[in-house]
Amino acid sequence: MNTLAYLVPLFPLLGFLVNGLGRKSLSKSATGVIGSGVILASFVVSLLLFFDVKSHGATIATAFDFINGGSFKIPFAFQIDQLSSLFLLIITGIGFLIHLYSTAYMHEEESHHFARYFAYLNLFVFSMLLLVMGANYVIMFIGWEGVGLCSYLLIGYWFKNANYNYAAKKAFVMNRIGDLGFLLAVFWLLSKLGTVTYGDVFANYSKLSSADMTGITILLFVGAMGKSAQIPLYTWLPDAMAGPTPVSALIHAATMVTAGIYMIARSNVLYSHSEVAQNLVAIIGLATALFSATIAIKQNDIKKVLAYSTVSQLGYMFLGLGVGAYTGAVFHVMTHAFFKALLFLGAGSVIHAMHHEQDIRKMGGLKKKLPITHITFLMGCIAISGIPPFSGFFSKDEILAAAFAHNPVYWGLGVAGAAMTAFYMFRLYATTFLGTFRGTHEQEHHLHESPSAMTIPLIILAILSVIGGFVGIPELFVHDGHLLKSFLSPVITEQEHHIEHSTEYVLMGISVAVAAIAILFAISKYSKNPELGEPAGLGKILADKWYIDELYDAVIVKPLDALATFFKNIIEKSGIDGIVNGVGKLVTYSSRQLRLLQNGQVGGYILFMVLAMIVVVLIWVNDGYLYKMFTSLF
Amino acid sequence: MNWIPQLLEIAPAANTADNYLPIAIQLIFAAGFVAFMIAFSAWAGPKRKTSDKLENFTSGIASHGDARQPMAIKYFLVAILFVLFDVEVIFFYPYAINFKELGWEGFFAVLMFVAFFLIGFIYIIKKGALNWED
Amino acid sequence: MNAIIFSALSGVAMMFTGIFTTNKSAIRNVAVIALLGLIIVNLLHSYGIFVVRVNTHSMLQFETFGLFFNTLVFAATLLFVLLSGKDVTNAGTYGAEYFALIFFVLCGVSILTCYNSLLMLFIGIEILSIPLYILTGADKRNLKSNEASLKYFLMGSFSTGILLMGITLVYGITGTFSIEAMRPAVSVGAPNYGILEPVGLLFIFIALLFKVSAAPFHFWTPDVYDGAPTVFTSFMATIVKAAGFVSFIRLFDARAIEMGISWKIILPVIIIATLLIGNITAVFQQSVKRMMAYSSIAQAGFMLFAVYVNNDMSKEGILLYTAAYSIATIGIFAILTRMKDITFDGFNGLAKKHPVLAATNAVFLLSLAGIPLTAGFFAKYYMLAAVVKENGAGALWLVIVAVLFAAVSVYYYFRVIQAMYFKEGEPEITEVSGGFKTALVMLAVLIVLIGTFPSALLNWFYF
Repeated sequence: MNTLAYLVPLFPLLGFLVNGLGRKSLSKSATGVIGSGVILASFVVSLLLFFDVKSHGATIATAFDFINGGSFKIPFAFQIDQLSSLFLLIITGIGFLIHLYSTAYMHEEESHHFARYFAYLNLFVFSMLLLVMGANYVIMFIGWEGVGLCSYLLIGYWFKNANYNYAAKKAFVMNRIGDLGFLLAVFWLLSKLGTVTYGDVFANYSKLSSADMTGITILLFVGAMGKSAQIPLYTWLPDAMAGPTPVSALIHAATMVTAGIYMIARSNVLYSHSEVAQNLVAIIGLATALFSATIAIKQNDIKKVLAYSTVSQLGYMFLGLGVGAYTGAVFHVMTHAFFKALLFLGAGSVIHAMHHEQDIRKMGGLKKKLPITHITFLMGCIAISGIPPFSGFFSKDEILAAAFAHNPVYWGLGVAGAAMTAFYMFRLYATTFLGTFRGTHEQEHHLHESPSAMTIPLIILAILSVIGGFVGIPELFVHDGHLLKSFLSPVITEQEHHIEHSTEYVLMGISVAVAAIAILFAISKYSKNPELGEPAGLGKILADKWYIDELYDAVIVKPLDALATFFKNIIEKSGIDGIVNGVGKLVTYSSRQLRLLQNGQVGGYILFMVLAMIVVVLIWVNDGYLYKMFTSLF
Repeated sequence: MNWIPQLLEIAPAANTADNYLPIAIQLIFAAGFVAFMIAFSAWAGPKRKTSDKLENFTSGIASHGDARQPMAIKYFLVAILFVLFDVEVIFFYPYAINFKELGWEGFFAVLMFVAFFLIGFIYIIKKGALNWED
Repeated sequence: MNAIIFSALSGVAMMFTGIFTTNKSAIRNVAVIALLGLIIVNLLHSYGIFVVRVNTHSMLQFETFGLFFNTLVFAATLLFVLLSGKDVTNAGTYGAEYFALIFFVLCGVSILTCYNSLLMLFIGIEILSIPLYILTGADKRNLKSNEASLKYFLMGSFSTGILLMGITLVYGITGTFSIEAMRPAVSVGAPNYGILEPVGLLFIFIALLFKVSAAPFHFWTPDVYDGAPTVFTSFMATIVKAAGFVSFIRLFDARAIEMGISWKIILPVIIIATLLIGNITAVFQQSVKRMMAYSSIAQAGFMLFAVYVNNDMSKEGILLYTAAYSIATIGIFAILTRMKDITFDGFNGLAKKHPVLAATNAVFLLSLAGIPLTAGFFAKYYMLAAVVKENGAGALWLVIVAVLFAAVSVYYYFRVIQAMYFKEGEPEITEVSGGFKTALVMLAVLIVLIGTFPSALLNWFYF
């Protein structure tokens, strides 16, 4: 199985090279076939690996020694176990659907830009695969940086628009802040344990003092904050919607942003032994979930709503991780990947039909014109709202149950967030698909259902969104029904929490009822009279995202700018430049003088040599006397 | 200020320069003698300064032209080559004296020497270094 | 031994090749074949196979280090001939004779890498130097070449005189020429030879310092390197200089302790003076060729570290340095021979017109400046690491000074890169063949390879 493991990332890498290098010569259809084909090939291999892991357990494939530094060794190795094989399936499976979708969605691009797009996308999949397959934190970090780079490249894909470039830069910078935390954590591990290989680290966790453990886990979490868009580093994700919609679906909803969850789930042994870090994760996750849900309520850009929804759902996942429901978090990653990819692709289909109109106030009544998109989008909305038996219900419920066991207040806030989720999703749905069309006549005339390359992924994802939850049926309904939990049990040590069955029924009932009420309220409110005007009061604050960007600007960017100006004008110009230029001038001046020694006269040269000899002989013959004399002088 | 005597004392005490004292005295004596003789003869000798006395003495005939006339390079070439081969032949003398002691090994060494010698000779002939006419 | 005999015979063979043919490419081919043969017989020696068994009466002593150094030098010469062979035959009227002289120089090198007697040191140095005087003056019609040759000869004779004086003093006091036999004298309870022996040694070292152009005995270098035909400057600056260092190290290996503590003051002073004069003076030069002459003085300053400390690391370092420095310098001079205008301005805009030449030249210059991922970086690193390893933190100031001067060197190396890439101009250049470009690219690749896997070269040394 070892060789198969190498194939998984190799295919996308090949696709990247072929599409990237041949972007000037390949036709669009060739690019599309290569770009999607390599992912499909990876998916097939991932399936084989998955079943292999299922029957034979985990394997580690070591390619070569990556860094060999005396006392420590970092191999370039892949770890194919239950967790990574599950992620492999999500990445390559959904990745393939999105690639397929992209062939139609991006078809208006020029052919070399089209190839560039697929090259980036393949490179992204490659990096993401490295991230989840790596058998140590360093390989994970390589993938981690790789996906960050691809995210940057793809957000700024339409690089002629300056705002998109700013968004790309923002995403990169925010991610780098998080990456620093990750990197520090890796160094910390290396200095304390001398290894970063998962197996060795988790086997020796007891050698870490509790302070080390807390420090490392919190720093790792800082990395996750950046990548998975948690407070305070979440502001890049909504802006990242500048990229093409399939990119938002793949990178900013289904895969890359869940890297943080993967990392913490992977390090669950460490987190389970640091209560401080766990509480921090839970609180940050919950805060993010609620906070971004409030913002999502007042957004009018179809992709922005989904973006804030993603941030909010990621918050739920972190809540799950924080309360020890690692399987629940991974489960939610999976179901979220299904329905959020579906929603984004559905949004893409709408945008495609509306000729790049993203403002939902100008849509409405699309139900009849886009039947497939409408149905699948509705499925996604129900799934994310947590209505049984759709997939979102199972995963969200697992997290909420664990949260209740941990602290009922968490649960209460979580349910409130779930209600808001249901509300804004159906606000979005009602405003977009119900009511009457509010766009221009021109747009209405051109409204059409998207081609099959776009609708097929929608249908597949819709089916997955509906049934995807059945791999994790809670103990409550079916004994041993949680297939996922038993599958992941070798890598994830679940923290036991116990709730009475009756309590669990009540909790479940409350959350479903609250969500259902929110849905009905949203549909009744927005299907006939969508809010078209500018919001006021609290609504305005929400629509302007709590002014967080402005806050960051005032608290961090402006003072830094001022400091930079000070350094640039005062320290740099007069201090550093003065010294540097002074040294340069000194060197050129002495060069000009020293040059004169070389006067071309052999007699002069020999005179210098003889003088030097005399000096040398004098020093020597004194056998250190001169040296001693010098030292006695001072 | 105690470093000045140290500076002047060039040689450390363990020096064996005393052994060379007689040589040094002899050198000083020789140089001093020459200097003395030159100075003495210049001082003691008669001095009659006329313009004729400062002329070059060319057996009565007034000198004309430049003594440094260009000569054909071949003179020098032949002269240098002669010196080269002549000096090399000198190596045969020590060999002749140690002929018996050195035995066959010495014989082969000298044979090799002669061979190189001969190769050099062939080379200069082939190069035309000894061609007098162009 | 194989190398000494074979190089001398090859020299003679080249002389006669010149008589029998005037076909330049045939002459070059003979030279390449002879060099290949030279490398092979030298390698055979390492495996104990001898062409002729000679009793050297322990005047020579063969060690792995010397033999490997021979291989390195011969390989560098081979690269040199492959790259610049055409320029050698075109430097003057006697193409074959120049190759013969190069082989005689190599003969001198092979003696210097294994001498065990001061006499052999003298003979080696003379065999090395005399052909160089001629090569320097190879361009007979060029006044500068003649002047350089004469200057080199005069100053070379002066240093030879000092060398002989030193040898005489040492012989007179110890009664032996063998550096090996003098070794026991160093140990405790040895007879005290007084002041004359160290003074004799000092003279020998000064003569050797002259050969490796360390300040303040460097004065001949800029004038001679500048005046000599560029192709021979390349040879002198690389192969010959490296051989000087090896002879230095061999002697120093045996005699360092007798030098007393003053040596530990004198040598650092000389190193710093060399770095100072080499680097600082190079800054102001207008001609790239003359800049390279000063740069070679500066590089000699770094190589002197291998004399200052004598441990395994410094030996590995000097091997690496020789390889890195020779390859880069040979490459730069090969490009320089093709330039019509050898000032910095002559390089303006080279990157646009001849991207391959510019790119490879940039790699060579980066290596000389010691930028990581090139061989030059590890060469410098090994030297400085050897100093720290030997003397600990006490020598740190020396290392810092050396690194500062390396930083200065970046200035003048990058001036060339700047001219090539960032300035507009129409560089005039003689025709370059595809083979020439290929060879340059190979050299550049070699530099990067050594810079990435320095241990590969060194492993070869140990096995």
